[in-house]
Amino acid sequence: RSLPSGHTMRHDHQDNSVKRRARCWGIYRRRFPNWSEPVSPSMDPSSRQQQDGDAAASDTRVDSGVRYTPYAIPPYHQRGTFHKQDQTPANMEREQKPLERSMEGHRLQGTSGSWFKITVPFGIKYDEKWLLNLIQSQCSVPFTPFEFHYKKMQAHFFVENASIAFALKNISGNIWDQDNERISIFVKPSDVPHFVHKELKSEKVQQIKLTMKKRDDSQEALDIQRFHFDPDFMRHADMAANPSKCMAASLGIHEENMTKVEYAGEMDKEKGLEPQQMRAGGNALCTTFSDKSSNINSILELFPKLLRLDGQESPRPTLGGTEAHKKLPTCKGSVFGSETVKNLVLQFLQQYYLIYDYGDRQVLLDAYHEGACFSLTVPFNPEDPALSTLCEYFKESRNLKKVKAPYLRRQLLKHTKRDIVDSLSVLPKTQHDLSSLTVDVWLQTERMLCFSVSGVFKEVEGKSQGCVRAFTRIFIAVPASNSSPCIINDELFVQDTGPQGICSTFSIPMVTPYSSSMPALSQEQQKMVPS
Amino acid sequence: MAASVGFKTSVDQACRAAEEFVNIYYEIMDKRRRSLTRLYLDKAALIWNGNVVTGPEALTNFFEMLPSSEFQVNMLDCQPVHEQATQSQTTVLVVTSGTVKFEGNRKHYFNQSFLLTAQSTPDHTVWKIASDCFRFQDWATS
Repeated sequence: RSLPSGHTMRHDHQDNSVKRRARCWGIYRRRFPNWSEPVSPSMDPSSRQQQDGDAAASDTRVDSGVRYTPYAIPPYHQRGTFHKQDQTPANMEREQKPLERSMEGHRLQGTSGSWFKITVPFGIKYDEKWLLNLIQSQCSVPFTPFEFHYKKMQAHFFVENASIAFALKNISGNIWDQDNERISIFVKPSDVPHFVHKELKSEKVQQIKLTMKKRDDSQEALDIQRFHFDPDFMRHADMAANPSKCMAASLGIHEENMTKVEYAGEMDKEKGLEPQQMRAGGNALCTTFSDKSSNINSILELFPKLLRLDGQESPRPTLGGTEAHKKLPTCKGSVFGSETVKNLVLQFLQQYYLIYDYGDRQVLLDAYHEGACFSLTVPFNPEDPALSTLCEYFKESRNLKKVKAPYLRRQLLKHTKRDIVDSLSVLPKTQHDLSSLTVDVWLQTERMLCFSVSGVFKEVEGKSQGCVRAFTRIFIAVPASNSSPCIINDELFVQDTGPQGICSTFSIPMVTPYSSSMPALSQEQQKMVPS
Repeated sequence: MAASVGFKTSVDQACRAAEEFVNIYYEIMDKRRRSLTRLYLDKAALIWNGNVVTGPEALTNFFEMLPSSEFQVNMLDCQPVHEQATQSQTTVLVVTSGTVKFEGNRKHYFNQSFLLTAQSTPDHTVWKIASDCFRFQDWATS
């Protein structure tokens, strides 16, 4: 492996050569290629997706811990693409089996059901599907995980039932991963999770629609009173109490479905539905599916335990035919537009961060245009207003959501290269992990090069020493006389990755790309540029 | 000095444009997605998590295909772009960040940046997107 992972700062013997190179902007500057070819990202299909290695989904970046170990990613830890993520048991269960959940508890649980948060320490090591399958296989009670997510090193999900929570707690320590390490499960009561209100609303809509559809098929008149006794409907006590109100409110949720909903003439949208008899299929509120067979398939996918429909034996449920769940496009790697631009940008970044990290930032004066602008922002986190670890940045943060006074807005925007470099010089000392960079070149014309860079860096001194930050930086540059990029706009965004996330457990292997054989990143290093 | 007066004005103008624009953009993105393409120049390019989308038709298809969204913007910044790059076509760099929940998917942190160019009519200035770069940012703690 040429990648010196696990290398913390090995600057002792490299110090001299690095310092030499950091002394001056451009002393080791190679002749930057002519960038007057107006290439935009779309023009060159072959280089459009600069995969730079694996086109794994960007959610691999969540588990930075795994990424920075020198070990291969364990076989059970296959993060896959966003498509796979969408189809995890949690998501599927939630979207497709609302009735099953209510049946399993045999209880009338409204939104006031008892919720529990389940935590698997170091759960971030495990693939969601694998973990949930393992837990389910050991758990005496079938359960539905809600809102599975990773936070820091842990995996979390919610369950809506005390007996399930208890059962899960019982298997703690009695399940093992593939390294024969015990997996613990912690359980604690939770307030109704915030997502429940929104999620359940859409569930309600689904249930209403499908409940009505059942009736529609059998041509019965909808009597709103009958909703009270429909087992699908009774899942939510509040819906049972106030079905008309709920329906009216719920129908507001999904705009895209609105086009398919027909309103009865006599209903007043503002007041909600009248609690009268409604005729399904006629004027009544109903959703329309394209044909009956897809109706049945749709219903069965959502209610697999429904055995009878219109007096027929239910056909085996087939996949597909549901309302389309739109998928997110796969996340891809850096976008350069062309090999030329790629070299140009990578050289620039290496130079820039060489000086920024190891040299005197005053040297960067030569990298900026006389009339350049710079600003930096740190997000406002309502849960952590102190932002204590980012205070050095927070002082200069020009978040227009928080900074309102015009004079202050002007003041925080650094203008002229002198002011900019003075500003940069007082920001904390850093070490950027060039292997973590994702680059998007937005625009490249004769006069302008615009690109953004995101990745992580580490603070190397002061009270935040060792803390890892995520950053996104936008550079807009014009060609200088020697056609090297001259920065006219520079915007830096910094966000914390959390004290437990990467900082304490891992050291960023500092790839040292500053050897004389560089201009571009080596093959191995390119593989480390994440998607 | 004329230059610095000009600069102050352009900063103020940029801030106004950015705030107005961002409110509109995410409102439309979340609630009237079909209208979103109108905010883009014909030759605009979108880079969405590394996927390059150019042209009105491709953009329309792309936005149509994206699940419905709920954006929460926590950060906004902007800068006037130096005229040397833009041939006196007034341009503003707008940067946002926050969280987004696409239906059927978990919440993500995101960073998004735009280059807006002014299209002035005698009555008012319309800002259009020349460039749009969007990335999930999953380094941060949730």
